[in-house]
Amino acid sequence: MKNKGISSKYTDKELAEALIFPVKLTAAQKKEAARQLAIARKTTQRTLSEKDRLILGLSQLKFKMEDYIRNKEFDPNFTFSYFLKQYVELLRVKRKEFASEIGIDETLLSQFINQHRMLPEYMAIRLEIHSSNSIPAAYWFKIVEKQKEHQLSTNTAIRKKERKHVRRRLAIGDDQQ
Amino acid sequence: MKLLKVGSKIEKRVVIGLAEPDDFKMLTKKRFSFVWKTVKKVATVYKLQIEGEKDILGVMGLVDWQEEKRIEIKLLASSVENIGKNKIYKNIAGCLIAFACRLAVIRYGIEACVSLVPKTELIEHYMQKYYMQYAGRQLYLDGNNLIKLMEEYL
Repeated sequence: MKNKGISSKYTDKELAEALIFPVKLTAAQKKEAARQLAIARKTTQRTLSEKDRLILGLSQLKFKMEDYIRNKEFDPNFTFSYFLKQYVELLRVKRKEFASEIGIDETLLSQFINQHRMLPEYMAIRLEIHSSNSIPAAYWFKIVEKQKEHQLSTNTAIRKKERKHVRRRLAIGDDQQ
Repeated sequence: MKLLKVGSKIEKRVVIGLAEPDDFKMLTKKRFSFVWKTVKKVATVYKLQIEGEKDILGVMGLVDWQEEKRIEIKLLASSVENIGKNKIYKNIAGCLIAFACRLAVIRYGIEACVSLVPKTELIEHYMQKYYMQYAGRQLYLDGNNLIKLMEEYL
């Protein structure tokens, strides 16, 4: 699989900057490699600082939000409430304490988390500031917008209600009910 | 994620996504160092392109070891015109490794790990350039080093 020619054309530094070569290990070597890695990872995990834990947790949430925003499909599980709940959980503080940190009442926070209220713009801004710009306000806003767009396009009740207010319709659509 | 045009200040945004069946016609050994049709049988293959352009500049094969919460980079190649002192763009491999780290963080959070089995003579260089840590036969990124790599290339 390896291109033998390439190793002779470049320095080791140049190769390492641009390529990762396939390396075959025997079954015994694989076992030993797995054991060595498990030990090394245990050490780094044990010495992981609280700051790094928080950065990794925030990054996970941010990347999930980014991928969901980029994806055109609506997923009922990925509401702003879901992401907000994840955010609060990774802070490892009580909801009351977090609510106080962003200057809202705990009851209001619960209403956002339980999706009894939509997330207003000021909350997106406060969450951006609270996360030290790790999660931009625009991410919260886009997730709320995605949710609203889905509700708007699937709400048949509101269509039924509003239909009676429209006196004339352009005669170009299929739906002439 | 951005590439830097060597000898200028021009930056190009890149996109990384799954290589599609038709892409493998372009992934020749001559330009991408390895036989990628074989790689796709054992790893998930990702391609790097400049945003809005069709040409592929980098390619990488990943294996997700779910039980170990680890993603292994089986192999990676920058296109031949982007290797060595006459390369056109910098950071192709860095962006691909950072993408693997991002994937690991999405899947495994604080336990995320990216690993590779290096050629012995390249170990020092991977450690210096990409913050890799030494674990005997393998090199790996997790914790603070994984954060540093993502901060530099994402």
